[in-house]
Amino acid sequence: MSFWRLDTLFLAFLSLLALLTPLLGPVNEAVAPPFCKPLWLDHESGKPLSLNAKDNSLSFTWESKPPKTFSVKGTVTFEDVPKSASLLLAGPSKTYKLVDLAGYRNFDVDIDSRDVPLKLFLGLSPFVDVSSVIFSERGAYSLFIASDVKAHVDLNLNIYTGKWGIFGTDQRGRDVFRLTLAGIRISLLVGIFATLIASTLGMGLGLFAGYLGGLADSSIMRGVDVLLAIPTLPILVVISGVWGRGLWQIVFVLSIFSWMGTARVVRSLTLSLREAPYVEGLRALGAPTGYILARHFIPEAMPLLLAQMALGVPGAILAEAGLSFLGLSDPLMPSWGRMLHEAQVFGAFTSGAWWLIFPPGLGIASICLAFISVGRRFEEMADPRLREMAER
Amino acid sequence: MMRISSLSATYPNGFNAVKKADLKLSSGEILALVGESGSGKSTLIYASLGLLPKGSSVSGKVFFDDIEFFALPKEGQRKIRWKKVSLVLQGTMSSFTPVLTIKRQFLEAMEEHLSLTPGEAMAKAVELLEEVGLEGNFLARYPHEMSGGQKQRCAIAMALCCDPDYLLADEPTTALDVITQAEIMNLLKGIAKRRNMGILMVTHDLALASSTADEICVMYQGCTIETERSDIIIKSPKQPHTIALVRSLSMMEE
Amino acid sequence: MNTLNNYWLRRVLSSLLVIAVVLSLNFFLFRLMPGDPTGSLLDPRFSPEAKQELLKSYGLDKPLSQQFFMYVKQMLAFRFGISFMSQRPVWQELAERLPNTLLLLFPALLLSAVLGTLLGVAAAKGRGRLTEKAVLLSGAISFSFPSFFVQLVLLLLLAHAFPIFPLRGSLSVPPPTGFWNLVVDRAWHMALPIASLVLLGFGSWALYVRNLMVKVLGEDFILLARAKGLRENEVLWGHAFRTALPPIVTIFFLSLPGVISGAVITETVFSLHGIGKFLLDSVLGHDYPAAGAAFYLMSLVTVICNLLADVVYTFVDPRISFRRLR
Repeated sequence: MSFWRLDTLFLAFLSLLALLTPLLGPVNEAVAPPFCKPLWLDHESGKPLSLNAKDNSLSFTWESKPPKTFSVKGTVTFEDVPKSASLLLAGPSKTYKLVDLAGYRNFDVDIDSRDVPLKLFLGLSPFVDVSSVIFSERGAYSLFIASDVKAHVDLNLNIYTGKWGIFGTDQRGRDVFRLTLAGIRISLLVGIFATLIASTLGMGLGLFAGYLGGLADSSIMRGVDVLLAIPTLPILVVISGVWGRGLWQIVFVLSIFSWMGTARVVRSLTLSLREAPYVEGLRALGAPTGYILARHFIPEAMPLLLAQMALGVPGAILAEAGLSFLGLSDPLMPSWGRMLHEAQVFGAFTSGAWWLIFPPGLGIASICLAFISVGRRFEEMADPRLREMAER
Repeated sequence: MMRISSLSATYPNGFNAVKKADLKLSSGEILALVGESGSGKSTLIYASLGLLPKGSSVSGKVFFDDIEFFALPKEGQRKIRWKKVSLVLQGTMSSFTPVLTIKRQFLEAMEEHLSLTPGEAMAKAVELLEEVGLEGNFLARYPHEMSGGQKQRCAIAMALCCDPDYLLADEPTTALDVITQAEIMNLLKGIAKRRNMGILMVTHDLALASSTADEICVMYQGCTIETERSDIIIKSPKQPHTIALVRSLSMMEE
Repeated sequence: MNTLNNYWLRRVLSSLLVIAVVLSLNFFLFRLMPGDPTGSLLDPRFSPEAKQELLKSYGLDKPLSQQFFMYVKQMLAFRFGISFMSQRPVWQELAERLPNTLLLLFPALLLSAVLGTLLGVAAAKGRGRLTEKAVLLSGAISFSFPSFFVQLVLLLLLAHAFPIFPLRGSLSVPPPTGFWNLVVDRAWHMALPIASLVLLGFGSWALYVRNLMVKVLGEDFILLARAKGLRENEVLWGHAFRTALPPIVTIFFLSLPGVISGAVITETVFSLHGIGKFLLDSVLGHDYPAAGAAFYLMSLVTVICNLLADVVYTFVDPRISFRRLR
């Protein structure tokens, strides 16, 4: 059976992306105004622009609707204290003075078109949209310094059109695409680690119970019954709420409540193996327990165990997503569930920002689907009857 | 007379289990279909009733008296089943639906094919049970409340409930103890004579066949290779496979 | 006589053990938090003198073991104390919200089970066609799409883009007058939540029922039922489905706890006035009497459902008798 199919390829690809996450840089910083639409959504609004001026002036053309906002940030250094100097933005027909720079050798410029002082400086009412006034025409614009002294400039001009990136921005102005990519790592980490710990725990306890029998067996199985009977999400909510919201806390809590299935499976496998005639035969021939375990039990059990693990990962991912969605995770952790939480709580609906909802949700769904597909394949390997049913 | 003519059957996975089999079953007689595992004998009887899994292909002709079974539409086939020819499964198989009472399973067949009042149907069911040596109160039981031998008798009684002319039995005594085996075989012999029914019995046990059946048909790898009266076939088998079978029989007797 | 009730005795004992564990969790979890232990038990707004008084009256100056027994007694008597956040008796808050949660969960579970079963039987009957693909697809969705995502998308589509349904709440504010107006308003508010749960749930039902039915339809007694010349529908429903019914009924009761779990999320998404949301709000608001009581109630319902599953099974499967179980 070929190992590389759509699901394994997809998971390998995601793992690669997860490993490359550090290259994304900080994802929790705002890069654009809040609730920007994806670039490909609204064609009239034009692309956001980010320009750097190292000379005295900066020229560009603006051929779209007036942008939502713009900002100019940076430093202006004069060779000598100027008697008159100003930062000007010139459009096709009018020129606007943005800041008066006179009287200072060094000037830190920090202008945002939403600032009320700027509006007043321009002689506009505080309720007017500065961008729509300044960029009212399409054509050539330039940003420059007019002064009587030579100036060195390091200015950044950022024009925001209300669109940004592949998936837009969230309520804090963070790039949703980068957040989504960063979320891969969290989901994979939580899913895999929680399942690994749970599986190890389950395997150990199941082996114990099946091999030792008697009191050990019945007490472990009683524990399994009890834990299975406790409603999962409520207990997770209670424990997370009380213990804290870190990544590893969630992993630990999830592991504690998901080892039971594996334990049962391993226990029944151990029991059947103990009684198996060929094991008796091996014992009669003098084979030590370790040999039997290593050479017979493990290869026999491997597909089933792998299936259990692969099918357990979606559960862990969904549980973590659920907890994050309810607000019980670290706000700084770029979890997909957290993204959906913020989407709902911070008003994705009132602004109709559907691009906040689909990427994380589809991300969760696709990872889970991939793991389930892989898990089913392991199951078919373990139990040929299932393969028959699948082929029929 | 029930006649199977040049019947071939292939399972959905492509396995050709029966190749141009021929068979004749006379009323009042028991014909034993003998062969080793995998010779296609069970497939033959299921195919002749149109009961192979979906996707199987069956060719040839099957006649119950003058009715050509495969020429009938699906609905027609359904109406004939149980009324003209019924079926008894292997002892180990579950003939009965586990969650329904015996009474329900008897009555539904009779309701479908006969027009009796509920009282008449009940009376008939009790009669049938007594005919196979069980008490009438078995009707109230569930299948899991009976032993293997009792279940098999019950299955035979149910197979007779619409007074069919032919009975197909797939290894009816396998997995039963020897005493019960003998009882069931005697039961079947008596039924064949009393009701003038033709019974086609599949078995891998040649000894059993020779002591019970009137005729024996030997199957080998999907083909019916030899058909002969049971006493003659034991004394002078003609086909090589039959000879081998008979030899192993006599080896056992020695 | 010993074997008569042995099975049920064990089951009841097991259930009691679960409740004991839940109560212990409630007790120790909230007391083992860092900081002032009484901060989790007494309203932080009380003055130090009042706190001393309450400490005495709550028996918090007594040893831990004694406190534990007091707590268990209170819980078993359903005396849940006062909520920090609302200053009302907790049982009152719970009693208000329980009907809403039940109104959400029962119709959703019933509809999912019925629709899923029908689809599963259809898929088992006519295999290899569109129904088969539908079952596999809806099953996959059931197991991999997070419930809140589907619900948010539904809200986006049917409450925002096309404002057919309300965005939040169990009832309009102010609620309408008149019985039928109230019923309609309720239904209008519950439509999306219930629809979302059904959408998410019917797939796993369909998958399970289909697999079960395929197995049953391969059994010999089905072959014999067909040989008896019964109608195909009678074979399918009267024999095959009837045999598959006991496990299906069991699963129905066993899936109730899962649905109760999920209520936390559903009620949060749709802002429904139910127990799940109450649990979450209490935990987030550090309202420990309320949180503990809500969790206890949910566990109780879970335990009862598990017991019910076993009891009902004995009535549906004649092979298992209520009395003879050992």
